[in-house]
Amino acid sequence: MTRKIRIESLGIRLPEKVVTTEELMASCRRRPRLDLERITGIVTRRVAVDEHAADLAVGAARRALAMSRYAPEELDAIVCTSISKHNRPDEFTFEPATAVLVRRAVGAKKALVFDVVNACAGLLNGIWVLQGLIRSGAIRRGMVVSGEQNMPLARTAAREVRHSLDGQLAALTLGDCGAAVIVDASPDDKVGFHWLDLVTGARHDHFCWSKPSSRGSGGILVTKARGLQIEGNRNFPAYLKQALDATGWDWSDVHHVIPHQVSTRAIRQGIRAISRYMGCDLPDVFLSHAETFGNTTTASHFLALHDFILRGTIRSGANVVLVSGASGIVISHATFTFDDLPERYLGHVNGAPA
Amino acid sequence: MRRVRIESVGVSPPRRGFFRWGALKHTVEAGKRCLAASKYRPADVRVLVNAGVHRDGHVCEPAIACYVQHALDINVDFHGRRTLSFDLLNGSVGLLSAAHVVSAQMLAGEAAVGMVVAGEANSDRRPDAESTFPASGAAMLLDLSPTAGAGFGAFAFDTREERADLYTAVVSLKEPRGKLLIRRRAELEEAWLEGASSAAAEALERDGLTPADLDLVVPAQISPAFLSRLPTALGVAKERVADYTATLPDTLTTSFVLALDRARTEGALPPGKRALLLAFGSGVTVGAATYRS
Repeated sequence: MTRKIRIESLGIRLPEKVVTTEELMASCRRRPRLDLERITGIVTRRVAVDEHAADLAVGAARRALAMSRYAPEELDAIVCTSISKHNRPDEFTFEPATAVLVRRAVGAKKALVFDVVNACAGLLNGIWVLQGLIRSGAIRRGMVVSGEQNMPLARTAAREVRHSLDGQLAALTLGDCGAAVIVDASPDDKVGFHWLDLVTGARHDHFCWSKPSSRGSGGILVTKARGLQIEGNRNFPAYLKQALDATGWDWSDVHHVIPHQVSTRAIRQGIRAISRYMGCDLPDVFLSHAETFGNTTTASHFLALHDFILRGTIRSGANVVLVSGASGIVISHATFTFDDLPERYLGHVNGAPA
Repeated sequence: MRRVRIESVGVSPPRRGFFRWGALKHTVEAGKRCLAASKYRPADVRVLVNAGVHRDGHVCEPAIACYVQHALDINVDFHGRRTLSFDLLNGSVGLLSAAHVVSAQMLAGEAAVGMVVAGEANSDRRPDAESTFPASGAAMLLDLSPTAGAGFGAFAFDTREERADLYTAVVSLKEPRGKLLIRRRAELEEAWLEGASSAAAEALERDGLTPADLDLVVPAQISPAFLSRLPTALGVAKERVADYTATLPDTLTTSFVLALDRARTEGALPPGKRALLLAFGSGVTVGAATYRS
């Protein structure tokens, strides 16, 4: 047994309904004079119907457990990292913790439960928390789960957006999704998380915030996207270089980089920032599917893993880098090597024996 | 095995005054007092966890811990020393859960100094009658204990998710700025007492202790009536339960830290004494931790 942890199982609950950016823009009371689809590259996203944030989290948790070697009662911890806690219409639930609702639904009778909230970095933050608990011997395995129902924010934005520079425009890029990962101690030093690091630059805490609207019903998400991107791109490449150096990888070792799927434009700008910082051309290893699923906040990286495993892009044994920027500003990086999970996942999702 | 200890405590108790303090102001004030009482500088803090549930303006992003980190001037830039800040929500048990998580990170070698903070306030202009509570803040600075055997022992959490509906707190988004609605049902205290027996027994067993080994039980100050039933539930003598309810109201997440601070100030926990910290929250969850001062 090593000090490393690995992703033992993955579960994604992706709603079926597709909503286009054009439909969302058309629903705005005052349609801004800008082409959001061209600017962000986001064409469609999935939207939950008759399901709420906790339901998406439970759906993802059940799928992760269905593929896992572990039964629900063998989970020692469940950490829920959703930002959107819209568990009923026009309500935001602070108590009980969403992890309690997941524990109740899946029957994980012995699991330690609490929520971790750290904007879009939440799910990686949850894995970091479980890594500490596993390494200290407090638990043996656990689940990090997130259910993001972001459409209530988009609906408020559609009502309240007033012009092309409105801070709520970013809410129209969001999508719904649930994601869950089960992590345990890696039996092999070559697979699992080699590096997992999060850092908060709290001087930049004013670029993005979410709270109830002061102008009517619903919650709002206000983003100063340009400032967030400039500060993020100025600082994250140094941490990415540190992650690669600490892992002992250079670009030829990296099979895939999964950035936070904010928008295709933001991902392109991020790649340029890395290239400038490192002073070299980068290989074609950056995966993006923001045009199809939009920004699913905490679920973003793991929805990308699901999608690119199903497409056959990510295979067993792949070296993957996760790059995340979140409001706060929180910069996080993870490097890990897959075991046979992609193969098992593909087999499981396609109904073949796992 | 090394243990994690509470190096310093800072509290911002409920206050009277013309101006209402919000949750963030209480949290930052408690954090400042905690750092002032500590031998560490703000820059030494590697992990900052905020466990306060009810926040000013019901902000849900970014993590309130980022605002606290900024206000306490803890490594706010992206160069030099680094700090990770995040929120941990687990009802009024959150601060004990945060101490558990930060302790684990320290024992795993991820951090040498950590800080857990919480502030609670209902920021509504016209608060719902059932959802009022005294605003307060609390902070604890944690490090690896230099004294063998001193510090946190075992943590245990008892969650009765089938009774989760006994305690809910939601923000209604139907009206501008939202409205906090806390609902506690009458059976809640019964569930807490059952949970306290179970969580305390588990924590004591893991630490190789019996109720008779405890010098002091420091519970959240729910109410005099509730605390009077605790000795029977835990199997300890009545005088061993720290009851400050005459002057300390229930302040939710911060409550057991306010009581711990009072006990330390009054000299009820001199070095070598064994205490049991107890927190009661939604879930329904009861958290227990053994601690040797």
